[in-house]
Amino acid sequence: MSKEKDTAKHEDFPEPVSEGKIKLNVNGEVYELTVQSDWTLQYVLHDKLGFNSIKDMCSGKGECGSCTVIADKRPILSCMTLALECNGKTIETVEGLAKENHPLIEAYIKHHCMQCGYCTPGFVVTAKALLDRNSNPMEDEVREALAGNLCRCGTYPQHVKSVLEAAENLRGG
Amino acid sequence: MTQDKKGQYEKIQAEGQYQIGADIPTITLNEIGKRGVRRLDGYEKASGNAIFTRDVKLPGMLYGKILMSPHAHAKIKSMDTSNAEALPGVRGVIRYDDPEIKGKMLNGCYFGPEWVCPDIAGWALKPIHLVLGDEAWYEGQPLGVVIVADTEDIASKALRLVCVQWEELPFVLDQEEALKQNAPVLNPGADTNVVAHPADERLVTKKGDVDKAFKEADKVIEFRVKRNAHLWAGAEPPSTVVRWRGDNLEMWVHQQQPYHAKMLISEWLNLPMTKISVFSLYQGGAYGGRGNPANNSENGMNILAALLAKSTGRPVKVLYNRRESFYGESGDMMVGYFKVGAKNDGTITAVQMKNIFAVYMCTPGIEHFIDNTRIPNLSCETVTADVSKGPAWWDRCEQLPNSLCLTLVFDRVADALGLDPTEVALKNDGCDGHDMSYLSEYKKKHGFPDRDSLKECIEAGKKAIDWDEKWHAPGAKMLPNGKMHGMAFTWDHQWDDVRGTGSAAIMIENDGTVSIIAQQSDIGVNPWTAYCQIVADELGVRYEDVNIKPFDLDHGFALMSPDGSACLCSNGNVVKKAAKKAKMMLLELAAQKFEDVKADALDVKDGLIYVKAAPEKKKTIKEVVTKAMPMFASCVFWTEAPVIAWAWHTQGLWGEAMETGRPRLLRQAHFIEAEVDPELGEIEIKKVVNVNDVGKAISPETVEGQMYGGTYMGLGRGLSEELIWDEQTGVRLNANLLNYKIATMLEYGPIETIIQETGMGHGPYGACGIGEATPTMIPALLGPAVYNAIGKWIDDYPITPERVLKALGKA
Repeated sequence: MSKEKDTAKHEDFPEPVSEGKIKLNVNGEVYELTVQSDWTLQYVLHDKLGFNSIKDMCSGKGECGSCTVIADKRPILSCMTLALECNGKTIETVEGLAKENHPLIEAYIKHHCMQCGYCTPGFVVTAKALLDRNSNPMEDEVREALAGNLCRCGTYPQHVKSVLEAAENLRGG
Repeated sequence: MTQDKKGQYEKIQAEGQYQIGADIPTITLNEIGKRGVRRLDGYEKASGNAIFTRDVKLPGMLYGKILMSPHAHAKIKSMDTSNAEALPGVRGVIRYDDPEIKGKMLNGCYFGPEWVCPDIAGWALKPIHLVLGDEAWYEGQPLGVVIVADTEDIASKALRLVCVQWEELPFVLDQEEALKQNAPVLNPGADTNVVAHPADERLVTKKGDVDKAFKEADKVIEFRVKRNAHLWAGAEPPSTVVRWRGDNLEMWVHQQQPYHAKMLISEWLNLPMTKISVFSLYQGGAYGGRGNPANNSENGMNILAALLAKSTGRPVKVLYNRRESFYGESGDMMVGYFKVGAKNDGTITAVQMKNIFAVYMCTPGIEHFIDNTRIPNLSCETVTADVSKGPAWWDRCEQLPNSLCLTLVFDRVADALGLDPTEVALKNDGCDGHDMSYLSEYKKKHGFPDRDSLKECIEAGKKAIDWDEKWHAPGAKMLPNGKMHGMAFTWDHQWDDVRGTGSAAIMIENDGTVSIIAQQSDIGVNPWTAYCQIVADELGVRYEDVNIKPFDLDHGFALMSPDGSACLCSNGNVVKKAAKKAKMMLLELAAQKFEDVKADALDVKDGLIYVKAAPEKKKTIKEVVTKAMPMFASCVFWTEAPVIAWAWHTQGLWGEAMETGRPRLLRQAHFIEAEVDPELGEIEIKKVVNVNDVGKAISPETVEGQMYGGTYMGLGRGLSEELIWDEQTGVRLNANLLNYKIATMLEYGPIETIIQETGMGHGPYGACGIGEATPTMIPALLGPAVYNAIGKWIDDYPITPERVLKALGKA
């Protein structure tokens, strides 16, 4: 029954690497750095600049939403974005939202939107992007906005309450 | 020996033993049970501040990757690592045939004369005994070689440069196929694929006489059920970080039992435990999946990281990617054959089952019939066949087979007799063959209130889902939208098998605030908040003045790790006992500072110590625990002997499902309303109602969070979560988060959580566990829900649209 087979393939390494200089505005502060062409924004933010909130659940496959950041007002998956493409962009992470005491943070704590907490920053950032463009969302709009973020602990119902409450607080209600 | 003559150690031991009986609170509950208590880990987690193992980055750190078998069953004939070693950035390689690792055992270790590892259940049935072996028994098994490099990327590239000559061996994926005569035998040296844990006495259960009962029954039904593989799929892919400081070892592990990890690595490296620090930071989802410290994805990973950190002189992080993290199937990969006898009035008289497991865990399927029914005749035979799939482990939780079997038997019987399943549940509720009068007597004897938990749960649930209006005969209700409407109900006992062992100290700081001193890992179930609530109420201080920082310690007091079905229910008792002792010490000290007052004439409220008979006489805790030393015009600490009290608590026999003399008194009831599209086979969950009698909800929002989360995990397991192997190659086809479908926010309709509090739990203040109940109960309920909709049983889980269409003869 047994048979022999080579499964590992040889490839040409090391690959040629090109580099580029980028300037990022992250949470209001400017960072200038040289990045390799294959570095993702996620890698740069988490591993190079130390933004700890940028999580990785799916190994950079764009499946989980836990690396979401706001880039020029739009929520994006930083694992699916090359850092080189972000030159000159304004990036928001949850660290920035915490620093400015964004009402989402307190609402998230109050309604227990976290269990293990690994996916939580991605949700907060996605919710912030929603509230930026829609200050008075309906429940369904919140669910739709957050549908790309996976939470294995299943905290979903609590997020809706929090986002609606934060929206109300932001409106001064 | 009387209590007074006991030594200090014996006193601690005696105080630590669990006493059977109701725990009626003797204190005023201010924080306990209150809503709006700010959760202790909330800010860290919401603000992105929480550090997970994956985030740990040390100066000079290298990244390690382990080879994972691409074959379902194969042996390494030869391996050439020269190209990998030549890749720039590669700093270290360990091969399976290197002298430092060759033949070295992984699973289990002796600690003194005792075998201390959980070398049990699913993992014990696999012949994976080496840290880095040369044979794989499932696709994705770590073996062969580990490489460390400057970056994860380089390490991964280097692994692809390793040239392996494999001898592919025959494999088998299905447990019933594995039991056939011509099936390839997987375990070396064995002549069959039948495997079973030798110490497990629960492989065969016989109570009463099922054959006689079948002859006398009004109705006998038979059916088969298959549950396919699903797994924990935690959010954070596992990793471990290791650094040597001289001959001291530091580790940061993604493990639920870090102290156990320390014991294992200590034994393996022959390094004293006192030279090892093991920290478990926040863990991105574990659910028991990171609760097997002995296996190759925990201990094995730690050993390899430690060896490479030593040889390279650099910190090393070994990590899994998402695909590599898809291991550890839940222990309910099973095929079950059932025969059930019942009377026309719904009384179940006999249950017989034969369950064939693939990589068996430890629950055969019959146990909940023993635990909480009056059914007199039971028979269960369990067979386990080894297959070419990863080992099973208890993933929230090992009771899955028991819940599946209970739900299907009860709903099948109700259907066969044309009865309301809630009535059948009430008709058979009981304990170990006894009816409710037996439990009533027990409750009275041990001081519990005598309430009918199941009846209360059912009444609340029926009302919430409008059962009496909406429940109908199977396949009888087509909605105007063309979909078939289905309703289903199931029930079980609550997860009150509180067992575990823990210790903690309570220390009153010099400013009067209170520290709980103990190590514990975190998996997100929020026990820390509850500990602080308990200590606040027991001591009479504000919740805000109590804190616990479990990651600060890696030795000393240790609360029961958050697994083994026990967290708050044993640890709540630990902190409660320690707080009671600390309060006595505090009042003894305080008595010296009031005039002519003994300690028992004092009490504490809102952080103030006062004379009970004259409440206007009061002092702050700070005034009592410190003494001013004005001569130095500065503060001098510990001028009083510190108020520190510690306690130990133990209950239940670790690893046993039932403890003699402690029947389960609490019940849970679950209801689902669904719509099934008969053309597309899609199942839409319109509403779920969970009713959990948790005895006492110490943190109600936490209880609700577990009920919500458990429902999502449970519905996923019932509807869409299935790990699929390619039949031709034995390779996992969907080990990723796109094709292994866990629920998103859009998936299911509203979930209603109803908390019952009858105070009949065996935990602190009458509480019981909640984390495992809902995700274990909900999956099975999808079968009855879809049956009620379409009138056809689908006993092949998960119940996917394809299986619905097949049942309808449309696929």
